[in-house]
Parts: sequence; structure tokens; C-alpha cells
Amino acid sequence: MGNNKEIRIVLGALRYKSAPELSYALQVPFVQNAKEIIEFDKNVNLSLAQVYDDERQKSTIFRPTAKFSVIFKNAYTGITNYVPFENNLYYVKAKETAKAQCLSSAQNVKWGGFPQYNEFDFIRTDYNIPGYTIPPDNHINFNSKSASTYNWSFYLTYPYQNNTTKDLTHYDSKSNKTILWKSGDGIPFVITNGDDSGNNVVIFRCGVKHGLSVGEYVKLSFAYQNERYFQVFSIGDGTKGSDDYIFSIFNYGFIGNVFSNGKTGTFKRVVDINNPDDTTSEYYVKQLKVLSDINDNVLVKSGFEQNIFGKTKKYESSGLTPNKISRVSVKEGSQSYTLSFNKDFNLNGLLDNQKRPVSELFFSVIWKGYFGWTFNNGAKLKQGYEFNLPLVNGNPDLWWSRTNLKSDTNFLIKSYNTPVNTESSLFYYVDSVKKDTIIDGDLCEWNDFEQKERTMSLLYHKFVFNSVLFDIRKTDNELNTNMFGYYYQPHHKLTIRVYSDYIEEGANDKLTIVPDYSYFSENKNSFIWRDIYTYGFIDQNNDGVNYPFLNGKHYPYRNYVFRIIPEGTNFISDNEVQDPTIDNCE
Amino acid sequence: MNKYRFTLPETDGYINIPLEIKWDYYGRDTSIEKYEKSVLEEIIGSPKDFEITRFSHESYLNNTRTDLNYEFNFFDNTQGTGQDILVATTSNWAPTYLNEGFSIDQIYYYENPFTKSFFKLDFYDTNDTANQILYFTIIIPVQQGGTETASISPIIPDVDIRTPIFKLDFVGDKEGFYIYWLRDRTNINISTFYMSAKFFNGRIGGFMRMMTDPQSTLPNKFLFDTNKYFYYKVVLDYDKYTYSVFNNSGGRVGTDTPIKWYEYVNQP
Repeated sequence: MGNNKEIRIVLGALRYKSAPELSYALQVPFVQNAKEIIEFDKNVNLSLAQVYDDERQKSTIFRPTAKFSVIFKNAYTGITNYVPFENNLYYVKAKETAKAQCLSSAQNVKWGGFPQYNEFDFIRTDYNIPGYTIPPDNHINFNSKSASTYNWSFYLTYPYQNNTTKDLTHYDSKSNKTILWKSGDGIPFVITNGDDSGNNVVIFRCGVKHGLSVGEYVKLSFAYQNERYFQVFSIGDGTKGSDDYIFSIFNYGFIGNVFSNGKTGTFKRVVDINNPDDTTSEYYVKQLKVLSDINDNVLVKSGFEQNIFGKTKKYESSGLTPNKISRVSVKEGSQSYTLSFNKDFNLNGLLDNQKRPVSELFFSVIWKGYFGWTFNNGAKLKQGYEFNLPLVNGNPDLWWSRTNLKSDTNFLIKSYNTPVNTESSLFYYVDSVKKDTIIDGDLCEWNDFEQKERTMSLLYHKFVFNSVLFDIRKTDNELNTNMFGYYYQPHHKLTIRVYSDYIEEGANDKLTIVPDYSYFSENKNSFIWRDIYTYGFIDQNNDGVNYPFLNGKHYPYRNYVFRIIPEGTNFISDNEVQDPTIDNCE
Repeated sequence: MNKYRFTLPETDGYINIPLEIKWDYYGRDTSIEKYEKSVLEEIIGSPKDFEITRFSHESYLNNTRTDLNYEFNFFDNTQGTGQDILVATTSNWAPTYLNEGFSIDQIYYYENPFTKSFFKLDFYDTNDTANQILYFTIIIPVQQGGTETASISPIIPDVDIRTPIFKLDFVGDKEGFYIYWLRDRTNINISTFYMSAKFFNGRIGGFMRMMTDPQSTLPNKFLFDTNKYFYYKVVLDYDKYTYSVFNNSGGRVGTDTPIKWYEYVNQP
């Protein structure tokens, strides 16, 4: 449509009497009001690949799946006089104990051995054991539906917020110093003075991986002559693995005792000394929010898959058991399990702990211990970090002591008595958590300038046996407040989107291209952020995700090794199962 | 530019300036895109969710038990005449493979005729045989189930052989315990199914149909309401992802009251 208003052109005198008669020229616009759709717009190439990709990028619904290979070393023997436990051990010194029982009474003799693998397995299969899971005089009435939730609870979680006030402790065995700090303070260290290739340096031995490079700066928790910023002079001290934990600053003649040997403190990493506001790292405990309820998960055996260590079992002869019943007892198992969920997870609008679109989920596995082998009265499931794991003088770090409330998890401990209420001692277990509960995760570093999060130390949980019911102490004089136990890594990361390895920058006059999660650098006077790779895009560093997409949903998956680790054992922190290398030989 | 000259008029002068309005369809591009999408959907369809999920047996007895119990009763045709159905009583049906002609050895030693046999449970959308659609099937192998005592030789102790009494649960015998059905009800919105049963006999290479009541209890053994006596009703609960089984009287079965199936015997 164009201008449809009628225009009359008349002589001036005919319109107004005094108007002069002049020549008028009027330009008439030629308006094209009906245009052809160009050929390109009329024809659309039907590309199934494009349609698939459009649907894929648009979808925000996920169906995550995981496979867990459980690796467990049954390490602690104990003694018990509680009949249902006593009758179901993997016995050690059975002959001696049987002989002692012959010479005395059953009540006076405590049988010893390992708890069987069913006490640790993901799915219990001892549903028909008389005197234990079925009457008479049974410990509990076994509910088959709970077979996969008696020992462990499974949840899907995502990073939700940061906790910078978490109390942490690190014991430095070399200096015999214990450092107390809050998660937001930075990275703990102990100072020694030394030299590096003839240069006097102040050496900082850190409790966690420092993540520093030579030339970067550190901001110390204390000042030397009002100066807190110092440049990193070197990394490591020449010993294997020290690069990650040790760094030095040049000692240009510090006086006083600010940098004296054995001094402790914390530091924060500074990428650019000229722009410390933007480039100083933040430190925190990443907290996770639970997305699923206990009944949302479906845990099943992963077909016939077994780990390479196989099953350890033995025949217990009737003459060598306290109840004179022969059976086969299992010490360690090897079954793998698949975890999925019977609900979908729509992540639309969910933001992570950095207020960015959620890029990672976690399969959170929490010890439950419903059968009551673990937790004395008042004890809680404990949590700590990798630097809390090493033994101190052959004993567990005091961090794990029952009296140290700072290592308590926020999981509720519940109790029950046996169905026949014959036992004077209660049985304690970790209650299931509800959806939207917030739980602690790994210790992390974030740098606004780099727009990148670094996991400094993985979170571990630890549980110990209930010494009243199953005593693993060598002597009664040993304190039962800080016993050996098992620890495990509860949170297993599943990457669902990947942020780019480059950093985008946009001036503040180009707000249309700036994502809402970008960081505004006052120093640069511009926004900085990392792009989110599209689903299916893998960059040159092999970063990116390409999970199956069907039914209009994403199906992310990953395989994990779940280790239940006896205290004091060496461990490998990398728990990912890598695909085998494919080369020309194959 | 147009050149206009205005002289000072004695009266007020006016000039009409045409305000050109160009009409165009607002958002025409968007409309085309939407149309394009709708055409594409028409041609290749929109994503539909055909994912299945697992339904387990609804708990009972105050949530203390979840086991699903079947009892398959075979007609005692060991006489081999087939005539006895005319005078049969309920006691002629019993949950033992021996009634079906299997020998104790075949059952105990898991010989092929026995292990190749199985129960097939078919799930239909209706019990009206004229209009029903079979949606899925569950197979229960004979290697599961309870046991009974039998003698394979007078010189060795009695042995336990399998019986067609199944107690399926989350642990133990699990095959056939779960129902796997569509998670999304958009495409096929069925949550009530009608279950019929057949036994495929590996010994004779044939199958026989099972019914919910023994024929001896019916007024006419061979003329009855098949819609009623060949099906149990199975109802899925999408909130809890569980299922319950009901008999033709509306009572829940499969609990400590087992789902009983009786071999249907043809008229001789």
C-alpha cells in the first residue's frame, strides 16, 4: 500500500484570492506497495541436519546417566558380640575363636572378621538371610525396594553458590604446623627461607595446588612494610611434584620476622599487578544444590560388567561359624552399576555458582549406612579435602575427629532399634536429603579476569565404624573419637556445556552482544566473558560436548570409578575412565 | 528538492504537506519463518519422546513388601486322554510343571525342552478381543520360581525342582518384575492395560492359553465371557512409577494374594 490520499492541484488564485499564480512543481512519489518475494525466500532447502541441530540447541532438558565401577578394598577387621553382625562376618582367626567358644560360652566370645561386601555394595543382595534380614531375631526386615538405598544415596546436583567462610584446617607435616583459615582467605602456606640457583628466596609451601605461574603476583594475608603484593620468582623446589605446591618470591633483603621460617598465612593469586581489582582470584567452597529426590534415581546392575579385581569370597564351614551354619561369605565384589533417573531435568534458567548458565552437573553419592555398622552415638558423616587425607604420625588427621564439628557434614543422622528391640544400642544412619538441599562441594578458585574456575582440592567424605557394635581398635585404650575409616569422593562431575577457551570482550556501547553473565572490568571499561560452545561443537583443544540428542532431550553420560578408600591408602585422584587410544594399529 | 516561493499573502497561507504512509506487513519475515517451521513439522514431524521408564510393583502391607506373585496352574493331563476336562474339578489344576508333561529329570537337569519353555504375558489396551492392540510383552523364564521336592532316583536323596510359582522383586528373581513403558504420555496415553498369559511349551513346541479361573468353576467350561476370564487389569501410576494388578472383581492381586493363572483346556 502507498499513499492513497487524493491530491488536487489548483491555481493559487482559485484557492486563495490573493494568491499569486505561480508555477508549482510537485514531486509525486512512486510507491511500490506490492513486492515479489525473492526466489531465495520462496524456496527453503530442507536440511534434516539443520532441523536436528536447531532442536538440539534449543532443548534445555537433560537425561543424565552414569556408570560406576566400584572399587573397594575391605581393610578393617573388627570384633563384635552383636549376634546378627557376628553371624555375618567374613571371619578371620575362625579356628581360634571357635575353639575359644567351645571352652567358654557364646556370649563371652567375640568373633572377628571383615564386614561382608554387602555392607558397602551399591545394591544389597542379602535379602534372605535368617537372623539378619529375615526372621527370626533379625536385625532388620529387609525391604527389597530399598536394596539400592540401604548403603548409599544417589542424587543429581549442580553448582549453586559459593561459601567463602568455610573453616578449613591443614596440617603441614614438615613444619609440624597446623594452619587454620577460611575458604575465602585464599591458599594456606608455610614459609621457609632458602635459595634458588644462588638467589635468596622465600619459599612458600602450600596446602593445595597454588595454580601460580612465574611472573604472576601473590597478595599475602600479611604485609611487609605495608606491601602485600609480591611477584612469583620461581615454582617448585626441584623435587618431584613440588611445582604444584611450592613457589618462591625473591628475597631482596627482608628484615624482621615477617618472612621468618615456619610463618603461616594465606595468599591470593594476582594475574596482573597493574589491575589487581580485576585480576585477584577469589577462593571458596563450591556448594551444590540437589536437583533430585531419593526416589528419582534408578540404579541397576550394569549388565555383567565386573571390574578387573573380581570377587573375593570363601566358604565358612559350619564348625567355624558362631551359629554353626555354613555359608559363603564375600569380602569384596566387583559389580558395576548404571545410574539414571526417572525424571527429566530442565535446566532452563538455572544459573551456576558464578551466575552463568549451568555447564556442569554432579552425580552425588552419599553414604547412608542404614544397617548401622557405622556412626557412634553423636557421630556424623565427615567431610574434608585432599590435604586432610594423609595420616599424621600414623593416625588420622585430627580434622576427622568426632569432636571437630568443623568437619561435620550437614546431613541428618537418624537412628532405629531392631525389629525385636532387643539391642540396647541404637543403630545410626545418614538420612536422605531432599530436593533443593545445599551441600558442600570442592574447594575452588575463580578469577574474574580469566573467567575461569579451578578446582583446587576435591571434597571427600569419611565414615567410621560404630565402635560399640563393631570395634576395629587394636586395644581398648585407643580413643574411639578419631578412628580409621573409609573415605570416598562424593561428587562426580558431568560436563553438559563448555565455555570457550578464549575470552570475549565487548565495549559497554555494544550491549546487544554481551551475555548477561559477563563481567564488567572497570579497568578495561568493557565487558569480558567466555562464549558457550554449542552442543556438538568440539574445539581444537578437544573441548566441547557431543552427547546423544534424541526424543528432544540431551542424554549426557560418563563413566566413573567409585573408590571406597581405606584411610592412609595411596590414591589416584583422577577417577575418569578414559577411552582406549585408537591409532593406526587398530 | 522542490523550489517553492512564498509571497506575503494578505490572508493566512496554508500549505498541504502530504504525509506519505507506506504500508507493509509488519513482521512478514517472522510469519514466513513460522510458516516455514510449520511446513517442516508437517513434512518431517516434531520431536516426539519415545523414551521408556521403569515401573515397579506398588508396595503393600504398609509399604513393607513389593514382591509380585504369580502362580501358574497346569491342568493334570497326565492321563493323556484329554477327556477329564469334562469332569474336572479345581483340584485338577496345580502349580507344577509335572502336570504339563515334563519329567522330573527334564526339570531338574534343565534339559532343553524345559529351559526353552517360557511364560508370555501380553499387555493390551483393552480386554475386547475384537479391538485390542498388543503394546508390549513380558517373558518369564522357567529358570525362575519356587521349588518342590521330587525324587529322581530311589538311591539318592530327593531334589528340589522348579515350580511355576514366581515371587518377583527388586532383588532375587527380577525377570518380569518391572514394566517398561513410555515416560511421556503425549503420544500414547495409556496407563491401564489388560494382561493375558500363555505358556510356550518347549517339549511339544506349542503354546497354551491361561485364564484367570479354572474352567471347572464356570457354568459352561467352554462358553464364557473371554473378556472377563482371560485378562487381569494392570494400572500404571505415573506419579510413583509403580503398577498394580487387579482381578476381574476389582480386587488387587499379585500381593500376598498371587496372580493365579489356570491352563485353558480345549473342548475334546
